Amino acid sequence: MLWILIRRLTLSLLILFLAAVFVFLATEVLPGDALDVFLTADDLAVMDEEEIEEMRRDFGLDRPAWVRFWDWFSGVLVGNLGKTFIHEVPISEIIWHPLINSVLLGVVITVITLPVAILIGILTGYRRGYREDIIVSNASIVGYSIPDFVIGTCLIIVFAVWMPLFPAVIIAFSDSPPGELLAVSLLPALTVIIGHIAHQSRLLRAGFIETMNSEFVERVRLSGIPEGRVIFRHALPASVIPTLNSFAMYTAGVLSGLVVVEKVFGYPGLGRELIEAVSRREVHVVQAITFLSATVVIVMNLLADLAVIILDPRVRSLKS
Amino acid sequence: MKYPSAFEVLTHSPGTMIGVTLVAVHVMVTLFAPVLIPFEETKIVGPVLSSPGSVENWLGTDNIGRDYLSRLLMGGRTSIFVAMVSITFAVLIASLVGISAAYVGGIYDDVVMRIVDTKLAIPGILFIALIVTGFGRSIPALTAAIALSYLPGAIRIIRSQALTIIPLGFVETAKLRGDSLPRIIWKELVPNCQEIIAVEFALRMSSSILTVSALSFLGLGISPPTPDWGLMIAEGVKNIHTHTWLILLPAAFISTLVIGLNLASDGLANALGLDAARGIN
Repeated sequence: MLWILIRRLTLSLLILFLAAVFVFLATEVLPGDALDVFLTADDLAVMDEEEIEEMRRDFGLDRPAWVRFWDWFSGVLVGNLGKTFIHEVPISEIIWHPLINSVLLGVVITVITLPVAILIGILTGYRRGYREDIIVSNASIVGYSIPDFVIGTCLIIVFAVWMPLFPAVIIAFSDSPPGELLAVSLLPALTVIIGHIAHQSRLLRAGFIETMNSEFVERVRLSGIPEGRVIFRHALPASVIPTLNSFAMYTAGVLSGLVVVEKVFGYPGLGRELIEAVSRREVHVVQAITFLSATVVIVMNLLADLAVIILDPRVRSLKS
Repeated sequence: MKYPSAFEVLTHSPGTMIGVTLVAVHVMVTLFAPVLIPFEETKIVGPVLSSPGSVENWLGTDNIGRDYLSRLLMGGRTSIFVAMVSITFAVLIASLVGISAAYVGGIYDDVVMRIVDTKLAIPGILFIALIVTGFGRSIPALTAAIALSYLPGAIRIIRSQALTIIPLGFVETAKLRGDSLPRIIWKELVPNCQEIIAVEFALRMSSSILTVSALSFLGLGISPPTPDWGLMIAEGVKNIHTHTWLILLPAAFISTLVIGLNLASDGLANALGLDAARGIN
C-alpha cells in the first residue's frame, strides 16, 4: 500500500512539472517571449528597436528559455509568481483575494452538487427504464447541453430584469468579506450547478446500475436484508467510491465553469481575473492562474485517489 | 451483437428522434443561411435597436443597426465550422495515437499517457485561454487550441477500448500471420473501435460547440464583426433591461443545437450498446 502511495505521489509531481513546462512553452517559448506577446502592433509602431531591447533586458527576457523557465518554476514552487508588466505588481498579491473567492464559490457549488447528484443518480438507476428514469435522463441531457453562460444570462433576465429580486451585476470587490460574497454567490452557483448535477448524476446512475447487477448485491439481498439497507449501506458506497476517480475531471469542470460564470455575473474571482489578464496580455498572470488551476486539479485528484485506496477494499487488495 | 441499421439508430427513442430533427433543422439553416438571409449580416441597414416586426427587418436590428435575423441565421456557421474541423482532427489523431499506444505499449504508451494526464489537469477553458494568449485571437489558433484541448480525452477513451480488443484471438492471429504493425492497427483494431470513435466524435462535437460559443462570449473566441451566437449574447447583455430578445434568441439557437446533438449522440451510443454517460470535459 505504501508503494501505491509513493507511486501516485511521484506521478502527481511529474504531471505538475509537465504542466508547468506546457504553460511556459505555450506562452513564452513557441510564440516568442513574454514581451512579444505583451506588446501590441500599436506599441511596436511607436517604440524603436532599442527601447524594446532595453525592456527585454529589464525583464530578463534576453536569457535562454530554459534559464527563464527554471527561474519562473523555482519561484512558483516557493509562492513567488512573478510580477505584472504594468506597474510591476507582485502577481501573488493580485490573485490572492480572487483565489479565496473562487474557492468559496467552488465549495458552495460542490456542497450542493454532490448530494443532489447522488440522490438523482440512485433514483434513476434504481428505476432504470421506467418513465421517471427516461424523463430525468432526457432532462439531464438538456441540463448539460445548455451553455453555462446562457443559463446565467437567463437567470439574470428572470431574477433581475423580470422579477427584480437580485441586482443584475454583482457589486462586490475582490476583498469583500466572505459573508457578503456568499450572499451574492447564489445565482452564479445555481448557474453551474444545473449542468454539473445533470452530468454527475448520469455518471452515478451508470455506476449504480452496474453495482445493483453485481453478485454481491444479489447475495446481500438473498440474505434477507431490507431493500433500503441494501441500497444505502451496500450498493451506494460501492458505486460512489469508484466515481471518485473522475473527481479530477469534475474539479477541472468546476474551474472552467467558474471562468464563465464569474464573467457573466461579475463575481470577483480567479476566472474574471484571468479573462481580464488575457485581454491586457498579462502573460505572467495568465500563466500563474492556469498553473494554479492545474495544481488544484492535480491535488484534488491525488486526494481522491487516496480516498479510493483507503475506502475501497477492492483497490487496496488488488494493487498492493 | 446485431449491428443496428442507420434507421434503427435514428429512431432509437423519442428523445433521439427529437435530437435528430433538431440537428437536421440546424444543419439545413446553417447550410442555406447565405441564400436565406435578407441582408448582408455585417452591413448596417437600419436604425439602432429597432423593434422586431417591421416589414424590412423582421427581427429588428442589433445595437449598431445590423439586421438581426440575418445575424441569427449566420451565427452558427463559424463556430460549427471551427468545431467540425478541430474535432475531426482531434478524433482522427486520437484514434491513431490511442490505438497504437494500446497496442505497442511500453515507453511509448507511458509517454503518451503522461502527456494526456498533463492536459487533463489543465481545465479546458484555461487551456484554450493560455494558447489564445500566446498565439493571439484568430480562427486558426482557436481551431488548433480546441483540437489540442479535446485530443487527450479522446486518446484516453479510444485507448481503453483498444485495450479490451487487443487480447482477442483475431489480433493474435494477425500477428502470427506476420502482418505488419500498421496493417494490424488499420485492418484489425481501427474497425473494431469504430463505434466508440463515432460516439466520441458526436459527443465531442457538441461539447466543442459549447466551448467555442463560451469562448466567444468571454471574448477569447470568434471576434466581431463575424456573427456568432455566443458573441451576440455578450453584446446583448449591454441592453439586457430593454431588449431581452437580443439575448434570448441566440440563446435558443445555441441551446437547441447542442441539445439536439447530445440527444442524438446519446441515442447513437445506446443503439451501439455503449454508454454515453462517461466523463467528457
